[in-house]
Amino acid sequence: MHFHESSIITTIDGLHCQVYGNQHPDGKILVKPKYIPTNKISSDSLPYRFISGRKMNRLDLWIDKDKLKSYIDAFSKSYSEYIFKSRLHEKSPLFFAVPRKNIERVYSPREGLSDLMSMPGKDLDEHLRTVVELILFLLKSNLKLKDFGVTYSTLMGHYSPNMSDINIVVYGKRKFWDLMEFLDKNGHKDLRWKSYEEWGEFYKKRNRYVIHKKEIYIRNMHRKKSEGFFRKTLFIIFAVENEDEAWFKWGEEKYKRLGVARFKAVVDDNKDSIVRPGCYKISGSKFIDGDTACKGLQISKIVFYSRDYCMLAYPGEKIKASGIVEEVTPKSGKIYHRIVIGYFDSYLNGRRDNEYIKILDD
Amino acid sequence: MAYFHEAALVDSIDDVQFKIYSNTHPKGFIIAKPKYVPSDLINLTGLKKRFLFSKSVFRFNLFNNKEIVKRNLDAIREKFPEYIYKCEKHRNWFLGLPEKKVKKFYDAKNGLQELLKVPIEDLDSYLKATRKMIEILGKAGIPMENLGISHSTLLGNYTPGKSDIDILIFGIGNGWKAIRHLEKSENPSLKWKSGQDWAKYYRDRVVSKAYSEEEYVANMVRKKDDGFIDGNVFSLFCIENENESWYDWEAEHEPLGTVNIKAKVKDAYYSIVRPGYYELEDSAVLEGYKNVPIRRIITWARPFNLQAKEGEHIEACGLLEKFKSEDVEFYQVVMGYFDTYTTDRGEKEYLKALIS
Repeated sequence: MHFHESSIITTIDGLHCQVYGNQHPDGKILVKPKYIPTNKISSDSLPYRFISGRKMNRLDLWIDKDKLKSYIDAFSKSYSEYIFKSRLHEKSPLFFAVPRKNIERVYSPREGLSDLMSMPGKDLDEHLRTVVELILFLLKSNLKLKDFGVTYSTLMGHYSPNMSDINIVVYGKRKFWDLMEFLDKNGHKDLRWKSYEEWGEFYKKRNRYVIHKKEIYIRNMHRKKSEGFFRKTLFIIFAVENEDEAWFKWGEEKYKRLGVARFKAVVDDNKDSIVRPGCYKISGSKFIDGDTACKGLQISKIVFYSRDYCMLAYPGEKIKASGIVEEVTPKSGKIYHRIVIGYFDSYLNGRRDNEYIKILDD
Repeated sequence: MAYFHEAALVDSIDDVQFKIYSNTHPKGFIIAKPKYVPSDLINLTGLKKRFLFSKSVFRFNLFNNKEIVKRNLDAIREKFPEYIYKCEKHRNWFLGLPEKKVKKFYDAKNGLQELLKVPIEDLDSYLKATRKMIEILGKAGIPMENLGISHSTLLGNYTPGKSDIDILIFGIGNGWKAIRHLEKSENPSLKWKSGQDWAKYYRDRVVSKAYSEEEYVANMVRKKDDGFIDGNVFSLFCIENENESWYDWEAEHEPLGTVNIKAKVKDAYYSIVRPGYYELEDSAVLEGYKNVPIRRIITWARPFNLQAKEGEHIEACGLLEKFKSEDVEFYQVVMGYFDTYTTDRGEKEYLKALIS
């Protein structure tokens, strides 16, 4: 069974996890724990939710760093099975992974949406009707129903009408890009994109102001056609790689951490920038500052785990990136270097606010 | 082993979700009604669908045209014969599932304890209303550990303002404490259907012809197990503690036919649970059988709970049974067996207190 990014897994001990990527180590599935029961560990710094008959903490990576670190330390002790040490990395970053034996149930966005679309309209509530109408509109792009999925609270059934987002999954990178083109050219009476002001609000969150110039940030985000409102409900569209189009294969490369640095470069290819982990192929990289071990290196790829960086930059655009510099040794092929942004451990230290990709104005 | 009590939810290994319908069960089988049936498992007719737990499911409903109910039960019988229990002692059948087919039991008590731990500011309006109702029941003197939540309140698939808040009260004594408290409570968050509301309900719906509008209103308006809390409908389910169980699955329940009776309620203590009963005196069989003394009215349907009080005269129609255990033998009238949803008897059954 292939575990697609954005599927949901519930575990036998009550965790709700979001599949985090399309490539997984043997016997485990890389995830981000989304809701964690509070019977073993809990934190007042994280939001609480009552889900599936349990008091849960919702893991928010943007709370106070020290409190997040305490929580993750406690998690690592209480749920040690869910901490994954990668042998592909000389020094493993923090990964969360569900051992296959701990899976209670897998919620498939594709199968869920297929079932939802088969429902009689009269049996749907307002939220689900909005999802169906949005999908009917997206189907005008010539994508097929099997190319779509719906995930998170809509899939799990614990959404709040008028409050919860709609999270749409598109299977296949080419299809996602086609859909973006369709959305760029087509409108709908119930569709509107996030306004400059709404992106401005978003900018205030997650410390973007530390890194980005507001106007440039908003301008770049505003051109995305993956986030908007349909019948006043926020929707977000994610791309998920099909099994045969993964841009890297788990186990085919080894990674050595060289340091932390900032580089600038030009984007050559952004077609893999729509998935998680996402990737920009770059050229002409220039070291700006950071650990001396990184000085003079040519960076070929910028890899990121946060969806905020999806489709941020386009070929020919100049970007600046700050993150972990890794030496990558493929099983076959030449050694190359990459910058990685958004490993989970970066949220536990100062890197959280210093890692970024941004477009350069000139 | 879990206590498979009334109003708890269980999932079967086939992914059918059941609502338990009794506090006691025959050996190895749980009396329960299918609540949500995945639509890819079986094709049912005349039922609403819901999108729940990532699937399209039928909301199984016995309150339907009896031909539709028959057809749906036939479909279940064909696909899942083990979900129908043929009871020789009752010469009747019951819905439910074998214990060995239980995949997951949802713990109502534990669910409430978890809810109580969530800071109030992290709750939505529906769960805040649930907490308020729990507080009210606490003021009635019911310990928190004797309360639970079930159905969408427990699973989290509720819609604020639309879904019922389903609260379970463990212990018959506690159930009565709740009812007595609510009869007197003047909490501004609590509302009840008025006599006018019930009259409208009577006129809008097909209510048994056995009631006049006046009788129906008088019977319903005094019940306090269903109401509104901050605009949300709530329902209270009283659950026997394990040491309070009274139903005897080993006894013979010989069916003798449909009867109409009159009687006086001697004891209504068990009328708050399912199955529940009213102990009678001064009974008379009016129609359907010879005039034998009726000791009890047994109720399997929730609408007949709390319908009459001690000392009140009642009139009822149901299935006359001869009950025979190792120790005793007597006659009783039973209402709300599963077969009433597919037979003419269902339309005839009623229980009313002669109070209007």
